[in-house]
Amino acid sequence: MHEASIVGSLLDIAVKECRERGFNKIASISVRVGKASGVMPEALLFAFDAMKAETIAAGASLAIEEVPVSGYCDACRADFTVEEEFILSCPYCGGSSFRAQSGRELDIIELEVD
Amino acid sequence: MKFKVASKILDANERIARENRKIFSDAGVYVINLMSSPGAGKTSLLENTIKGLKGGMGLGVIEGDIMGTDDAVRIENLGVPVVQINTGGACHLDANMINEVLGDLPLKDIDILFIENVGNLVCPAEFKVGEDIKVMILSIAEGHDKPLKYPLMFQESSALLINKVDLKPFLDVNVEKIRRDALSLNPSVKIFEVSCRTGEGIDQWIQWLQTLTS
Ligand SMILES: Nc1nc2c(ncn2[C@@H]2O[C@H](COP(=O)(O)OP(=O)(O)OP(=O)(O)O)[C@@H](O)[C@H]2O)c(=O)[nH]1
Ligand SMILES: [Mg+2]
Ligand SMILES: [Zn+2]
Repeated sequence: MHEASIVGSLLDIAVKECRERGFNKIASISVRVGKASGVMPEALLFAFDAMKAETIAAGASLAIEEVPVSGYCDACRADFTVEEEFILSCPYCGGSSFRAQSGRELDIIELEVD
Repeated sequence: MKFKVASKILDANERIARENRKIFSDAGVYVINLMSSPGAGKTSLLENTIKGLKGGMGLGVIEGDIMGTDDAVRIENLGVPVVQINTGGACHLDANMINEVLGDLPLKDIDILFIENVGNLVCPAEFKVGEDIKVMILSIAEGHDKPLKYPLMFQESSALLINKVDLKPFLDVNVEKIRRDALSLNPSVKIFEVSCRTGEGIDQWIQWLQTLTS
């Protein structure tokens, strides 16, 4: 629901990184979005296309890499990945003492500039 | 030309949240980010809390709503310093919105500052605003399936108030299931069953608040 504020921050960072390197046009932005980040890729793309106009990213594409939710179980010491957006228990032993390893990412990883 | 960047998109928010946190802790203010869906009873809980503390502690409130000042008026009527933020559409408060109103509160006189977030069971949990802890309310009329449908807020909250328990006779809700599922998502969450209408359970909540700052 708050994809617009995410895209606002994303554009701020991308524009700044691009300018700092002496470029004036962004061709593409690659981001990693965890499945538990609360951000829907489709909504992110929609907000990006709506908000990029009148910035130096007006012609840019947005590449989204989704990161699955994974964890480590303290009880059976398994590393596991789940399909769901949240880990409720260890899929191997059912234990509830686990550490989330990935899934909350919301990172810019690469920029392509002209 | 391509180049790598390694930047968290919400970094700016996190940085400002840390700044806010520092300002609060320097002024000796304990900050609670209060979240729930629309109408679960955030402002009602604040009214009950203010009355229950009977001036025993310096309180302050920041009200976050998309528009309107109704909630701030309710708090002001009880004589507690309050600032209204209108997000103009945004579904959550962010650290910068809080940063901009810090000068409008007498921080030196405040022991606990409540930040009533925008009514929304999803987005507010994603954005730190500079709080010490997050506290959420679920009213039983919303149904017992909510913890497993909206897990993040339950995971992030230090306390869960199950509100409107006076409505139990009229509802088929399974309060035990709310407890069980909330605890499975967050084994350390402190749970209070309260009614802001009858005052049931408010004493325990207030006692817990007092332990936070003593
Ligand atoms: N029966 C009953 N009604 C309650 C209780 N707590 C709050 N209400 C009612 O629920 C409605 C919403 O309460 P508010 O305190 O305004 O809820 P809120 O979470 O601040 O709402 P927003 O700020 O709009 O998100 C009001 O009509 C309250 O009187 C309760 O414990 N029992
Ligand atoms: Mg309210
Ligand atoms: Zn296990």
